[in-house]
Amino acid sequence: MWGYPEPITRLIEQFMKLPGIGPKTAARLAFHVLSMPEPDVMQFAQALADVVHRLTECAICCNITEQSPCSICRDAARDDRVLCVVQDPKDVMAMERTHEFNGRYHVLHGAISPMEGIGPNDIRIRELVQRVGTTDIAEVILATNPNVEGEATAMYISRLLKPFPVTVTRIAHGLPVGADLEYADEVTLAKALEGRRQL
Amino acid sequence: MKIRELTLENFRNYEDQTVEFQDGVNVFIGDNAQGKTNALEAIHMLAVGKSHRTARDPDCIRAGQLRAVVSGAVTVRNSQASLRVELTQGGKRAFVNGLSQAKLSDYVGRFQVVLFAPEDLQLIKGGPAQRRRFIDMELGQTHPSYLYHLGKYQRTLAQRNRLLKQPRVDWDSVAVFDAQLALHGAQVVCRRAQFVRQMRGYAREVYRQISDGRETLDVTYQLSLRTPDTEPASLDLSRVDDVRAWLEEALDHRKDADAAAGHTTVGPHRDDLAFTLADQPVHVFASQGQQRSIALSLRLAEIDFIHAETGDYPVLLLDDVLSELDDHRQRNLVMSMKEKLQTIITTTSLAPFHGMLHREMRLFHVHSGIITG
Ligand SMILES: Nc1ncnc2c1ncn2[C@@H]1O[C@H](COP(=O)(O)OP(=O)(O)O)[C@@H](O)[C@H]1O
Ligand SMILES: [Mg+2]
Ligand SMILES: [Zn+2]
Repeated sequence: MWGYPEPITRLIEQFMKLPGIGPKTAARLAFHVLSMPEPDVMQFAQALADVVHRLTECAICCNITEQSPCSICRDAARDDRVLCVVQDPKDVMAMERTHEFNGRYHVLHGAISPMEGIGPNDIRIRELVQRVGTTDIAEVILATNPNVEGEATAMYISRLLKPFPVTVTRIAHGLPVGADLEYADEVTLAKALEGRRQL
Repeated sequence: MKIRELTLENFRNYEDQTVEFQDGVNVFIGDNAQGKTNALEAIHMLAVGKSHRTARDPDCIRAGQLRAVVSGAVTVRNSQASLRVELTQGGKRAFVNGLSQAKLSDYVGRFQVVLFAPEDLQLIKGGPAQRRRFIDMELGQTHPSYLYHLGKYQRTLAQRNRLLKQPRVDWDSVAVFDAQLALHGAQVVCRRAQFVRQMRGYAREVYRQISDGRETLDVTYQLSLRTPDTEPASLDLSRVDDVRAWLEEALDHRKDADAAAGHTTVGPHRDDLAFTLADQPVHVFASQGQQRSIALSLRLAEIDFIHAETGDYPVLLLDDVLSELDDHRQRNLVMSMKEKLQTIITTTSLAPFHGMLHREMRLFHVHSGIITG
C-alpha cells in the first residue's frame, strides 16, 4: 500500500474495516471515490456522519431512530399487547414489509454467541424483561433467526419471561434452514408468523 | 450404476486421457507411481465431488496447470447422465448434463462409488474420529438431512465449549445450548445407530464369505460414556425422544466434569464404532490379516447399504488391496462382486487374478500418466 499518497492510504484503511472487504477491493473503492464528482463524495461523507450523529436508540423498543420514541412506538393504532422480539433493526423492516403484524417491536441488537464474546448482557435482554414487567403485554413473539444462536437466545428469553403472565411464542420454521430473517421473502415470513408455536 | 467413460484433463499426472470401461471387472495394471490411484481418485471425485485422499482440491491439478477437469458418462438406474467436475486454484464447479450445480450438495448422491484402499485399515486400527468420519461420509451421501443435524450439533457444541472454558461458567447460558445440543445430538446418534444396525448384517455376511465362515463379525454403535450414571440399562437408540432425554440428563450429570475439562465430555462427538470377532474386541485380539478383512467387509457392506437406500449398486473401486488379502479370499471376493456390479481394480501384478478367465476382465496398462487399453 506504500507509495500511495497518505490520504488514499487512509481511505483504503477505512474501507478495509468493512466486512468482506480486503486490501484489493478497498483500493479499488478508494480510487473509485477519487473519480467521483465532488458533491457526490460530500453527500457520501455526510451520510456516514449522519448515521452516527443523527441516529439514536429508541428508549422503548431499542430500534435505531432519528427521534426517540420511534415512529412505531408512537403510532397509537398499533396493538400494545403483542410484542415481536427481533435480532436486528433490519428484521423490523422485513417484518413491516409483510403488512401482517400490527403489534410492537423489541430489537435485541444481536444474539447470544459465546464464540463471538456476546453474552446475554451484551444485547438488549434486560431492557426487554423490564418492558414486559412494566407494561401490559399479553404475547411475546420471539422472532430471532432460526440458527443455533437465535434459538439459544429465544430459549434464554423464554426462561427469563416464565414468571410473567405473558404467552411466549416462537416464530414457526417455515423459514429456509439457516436463513436470516432479513433475507426471508414476505410470504414465507408471513406464514412463519402465522404458524408460531407456544414455548 | 456404471461408469462408461472417464476423461481426465490436467488431473494429477494425466494430461488428456479418455478411458472406456466395460461392465464387470476392469483392471488397471502398472508399476508404482504411474497413476493408478490417481485414476480411481478421479472417479471418486466424479461421484462425491471430493478426493478421497486430500482435502485440498488444487493438489489434484497437474503441476504447472491452472485447471483440472474430470468428466464422465455414467448410467444410473437405466438412464444416462454426463457428470463433470472442474477444479481451479480458486474453487470448483460441478455439472450434471452440462448444467452447473449451485451447491455441491445438489451434485452428490447421483452416482455412487465405494472405494477400498490400503489406508482403510485405519478404520480398525485408528482412533474413533476416523470411524465417525466413515459414518458421517456415508450418511452424508445418502441422507443430506443428516448433515444438517450434524452441522447444527457441531456449531452448538463449539458455542457450549466456549462457555465451559470461561473461568466462571455461566450455567444459565450453557442450559440454552444444552437443549439444542440434545435435540440435534439425538438425531445424529439415532441416524448413526440406524446406519450401523443396517451395516451390521451386511458386514457380517461379507466377512463370513471372505473368511469361509470361521468367525463371526459384529459391529455396534457405541455411546461415549457407558457408565451406569449416564446410560440407563435399556436405552433404545431407535427412539429419538428417549435419546434426547438421556442426552439432556447426561449433559446435566456431567456438568462438573465438563467444567473441569473445559469441554463437553458426552455426546456423539465422542461416540465410536466397536468391532468384535467371535465376541472378542478386534483391536486387541485380531491379527493384521483379520483386521484387513474386517475393513474390507465394512466397505463391501457399504455396497449393500447403498443398494438398499438407492435401489442401485455403486461402482466398486479397489485400490491395490487384492495383493494384501490371501489368495483364496480374494478370489471369492472378486468372483462374487462381478456378478452384480462394476468393479475397477488397480494392481501391480496379475498374480491375484490367477484362475480368473482373462477374457472376463478388461485390462488397462498404466504408465507415466498414460493409459492404454
Ligand atoms: N498434481 C500433480 N501433478 C503432476 N503429477 C502428479 C500430481 N500429483 C501426483 N502426481 C504424480 O502421480 C504419481 C503417483 O500416482 P499414483 O496414482 O498415486 O501412483 P500409483 O500408480 O502407484 O497408484 C507420482 O508420480 C506423482 O508425482
Ligand atoms: Mg497407488
Ligand atoms: Zn421504538
